[in-house]
Amino acid sequence: MEAEPRKKALRYFFAKVVEPLGFKFTPDADLVDFLLEQEVMLEGKHGIPFCPCQPVRHDRARDMQIVCPCIPFHREHFDAIKRCWCGLFVHKDVIDPDSLPQLPPKDVGRE
Amino acid sequence: MKRVTLYTLSTCPWCRKAKKFFADRNIPFTFIDYDLADEATQGKILQELDAAGATGFPFAKIGDEVISGYQPERYASALRS
Amino acid sequence: MSDKFIPAISTDAIAPGGMKTVELAGHEIVICNCDGTYYAIQRRCGHMNAPLEMGTLDGKIVTCAMHCAQFDVSTGQALSGPVPADMGNETLPPRLAAFMQHVGMQMKHVRTESIRTYETKVEAGWVHVAP
Repeated sequence: MEAEPRKKALRYFFAKVVEPLGFKFTPDADLVDFLLEQEVMLEGKHGIPFCPCQPVRHDRARDMQIVCPCIPFHREHFDAIKRCWCGLFVHKDVIDPDSLPQLPPKDVGRE
Repeated sequence: MKRVTLYTLSTCPWCRKAKKFFADRNIPFTFIDYDLADEATQGKILQELDAAGATGFPFAKIGDEVISGYQPERYASALRS
Repeated sequence: MSDKFIPAISTDAIAPGGMKTVELAGHEIVICNCDGTYYAIQRRCGHMNAPLEMGTLDGKIVTCAMHCAQFDVSTGQALSGPVPADMGNETLPPRLAAFMQHVGMQMKHVRTESIRTYETKVEAGWVHVAP
């Protein structure tokens, strides 16, 4: 599939999903563009837009947990760091996404 | 000089930053892009990630220390200690 | 003066977000009501020809019910191909397993093509389409 129309479609779908969860697209537009480009490529390869920063395990039950937006499966962790793992989404009140470190669950007491 | 090994993904911008962190400081490191590796290597990498409680990439091993996520300050202190 | 537009369906026949199939001049056409703006697309999915009106319309994106290929109804552009099916973990009976493998082998060569769209206009409470 052509990347640009698919990126636009993913933006449309994802915005609707993350908004009620208290998240929004990161204000870092270049990062959004890069990550969506990777997701379109992953969707072309696997048929599903996986997170570009988490492992595809070829174990369906676990792979479903990294289908973007994967926030519902990592709610406590992502709420604690105010971002999702790859940084595509951040809490609605975040203005400076660069200030949000990429911490694993155990570093924020959320195993 | 501590041995630095990175597990990364070719699709991940934070992994690029992690590689750049060490490259910019002329610190030798090896890396494996999980998504481009064979099945056996992928299995081993997943075991290490799971054992460390890491859910995503980048995953850095600096000496005996294991760091999950792009954390330049922790990389620096691990190299110093 | 000949008009290429043919009256297709009354505007109150399709609720916002809905789709309905009409046949005009030998073409099977699906009319989509995208919040009061009407688009017309070919009925047959650009992946494997399933009827698109049996899918779902979200904004201007239609998702086919058969394998979940997606299209922009305003341009016909194919947005995504099929989503892989989950065959589960149970062992299939041998003939079924062989059949699924045979089908799967061919399906992986099937491309998802963009679909044809048709011009529309609304006049006097009717959606007109140029087939």
